[in-house]
Amino acid sequence: MQNVFQSRNKARSTVYHLRDVVRDRASEGVTFRLRVPALQISQGEKIALIGESGCGKSTLLDMLAFIAQPSEIAAYRFRPELEGDAIDVAQLWKKRHMNKLGDLRKCHIGYVMQTGGLLPYLTVRENMSLSRSVLGLKSDDTVENLARELGIARHLDKLPDTLSVGERQRVAIGRALSHEPSIVIADEPTASVDPFAAEKIMSLFIGLAEERNITVVVASHAWRHIKRLGLRRLAHHTHRSKDGRTTETVVNG
Amino acid sequence: MRLLKTLRLASRDYGHEWQMSGCFVLALAAVLGPMLVLFGLKFGVIGGMLNQLIENPENREIRPVSSGRFTRDWFGNMQRRDDITFLVPRTRSIAATIELDSTQSSRIVRAEMIPSGPGDPLLAADGYLPDGMSRVVLSQSAAEKLQVERGDRIDGSVSRRYLGRKERKHVELEVADVAAVGAFGRDGAFADVRLVEALEDFRDGRAVPELGWNGDATDAERNYPGFRLYARSIYDVAGLKSELTGQGIDVRTKAADIDLVMRMDRNLSAIYWAIAIIGLIGFSLSLGASLWANVDRKRKELSVLRLVGFRTGDIVWFPVTQAFYTGLLGWALAIGIYHAAAYAINGMLADQLSSGQEVCILLPQHFVMALGLTVGAAVLAAALAGWRSARIEPSDGLREI
Repeated sequence: MQNVFQSRNKARSTVYHLRDVVRDRASEGVTFRLRVPALQISQGEKIALIGESGCGKSTLLDMLAFIAQPSEIAAYRFRPELEGDAIDVAQLWKKRHMNKLGDLRKCHIGYVMQTGGLLPYLTVRENMSLSRSVLGLKSDDTVENLARELGIARHLDKLPDTLSVGERQRVAIGRALSHEPSIVIADEPTASVDPFAAEKIMSLFIGLAEERNITVVVASHAWRHIKRLGLRRLAHHTHRSKDGRTTETVVNG
Repeated sequence: MRLLKTLRLASRDYGHEWQMSGCFVLALAAVLGPMLVLFGLKFGVIGGMLNQLIENPENREIRPVSSGRFTRDWFGNMQRRDDITFLVPRTRSIAATIELDSTQSSRIVRAEMIPSGPGDPLLAADGYLPDGMSRVVLSQSAAEKLQVERGDRIDGSVSRRYLGRKERKHVELEVADVAAVGAFGRDGAFADVRLVEALEDFRDGRAVPELGWNGDATDAERNYPGFRLYARSIYDVAGLKSELTGQGIDVRTKAADIDLVMRMDRNLSAIYWAIAIIGLIGFSLSLGASLWANVDRKRKELSVLRLVGFRTGDIVWFPVTQAFYTGLLGWALAIGIYHAAAYAINGMLADQLSSGQEVCILLPQHFVMALGLTVGAAVLAAALAGWRSARIEPSDGLREI
């Protein structure tokens, strides 16, 4: 009895539910295939995707952020709010409701890119407020507080190109968090900074997500310091076909 | 609201990248400016030349071949037609001469009297007109021989043989104006129709009470042997000719010349339209290509906007706004280039032109047309490019560096 209740509870709190989701990408005669036989991510979970670059980590993150369309989907459900019903993302994609997918991303997902992706013509404050203003949220002290916690408060009125790479990544993290999303996806957010700063930024990021009970999916190639932050590692393996034409990565979890 | 946000972001980006934006504006003006100069020249030189040909009164004149009998009613009817700009009766040419004498010159000039009046195409539209029994406009050669200018007084005299005696009468005339060189090549005096009629009456032995000349009583009904007739435009000449021929009046026109001018007008217009269309296509392509390239360059930033939740429709406004700025600023700069070039060209040729005539000229509506075309082409190119980049998957745009 208790088992049934637990599993139902778990199903209720599942944010992402993917089954047999595949994305093919051809490049220079080689087909890269990412296959996800089954993936469940629960509310508040911290997931790490570890692997060499080119193995398909970014592809999975992009599919989770609805910015890359899978080639095949058996099931893809997304439940951003515990109270709400699961949204059939497969259906939205099939009907090419790109604006609806965009709205889901706008409301519920923060995305940290590998190289900042800050708009060079906006100040740090405006960059961080961008995800809020798109949602029509009122400007309050959220951005200032975040900036203080990220250690970039003194840079708020500067343009991104006056900042160091590490500082820019902090701004990018701030932008991904400022509209209080329930999910944050980060694609190698610390790949372009030195290992010492990387560790510091990553723990700061995970700490902030933890405080806010945000679901995190982060890709990285350095498992060593991520492990200490208590993230769940997604199992995946990559193999190349004999003729070298296809590289397939399978992710399970 | 979202649209406003996009416009604001696009403006911020445009200003932040002012060097790049400046290059686009310069590139646009560099193509549009010379094109405006070319059109200015076409409009000024060819337009002016054609207008001269078209408006040259000689080409619009219709002359009767032989003398006829035209009544005042006939003139009244014909003057009401709107394809005729000027029509006055002519008296017998043998009776329409006058001997002119001035105090400045010892010569006596025998001048032809040309019946004239308001709207005479041979006289300057804004000049003084012959009027009444005393004010005449002299042809250039007559004025030179008499050594008189506007405002001078001259003596006119006519003679006749009346009742077996030769008599000469004088009338004091005022030089109302001197006609332009091209108006009348011989010695002549443009005069009010009444003065010309009076001279004919005098020669025919009739009385002219206005001038105090005695003679026989005048006939009630006056007939004229000819007329001076000018069509409204060269295009009306053919119609009037057939109308007059229909009335049994043989006329001579410059139909062959007119045909030549009209053919030239058509051919030149065709040539200039061809140049215009080729120029416009080239201009649109260069503008479109540079804006298209710009949107491609911005693909990553546009993808970032989509990542934070801007919709496809909003994204298109981003390059469109910037293209609008480029179009507007490029147009303004091109106008500056045009004005500088036009000033230089007109200044260079000023001494070869009659006053007020300009070789390079454009009207305000031409500038408005240029603005419409420029901004229209720019916005269209940017909208297409923006639409294309909004359709690619955001993840593809994000990964491009």
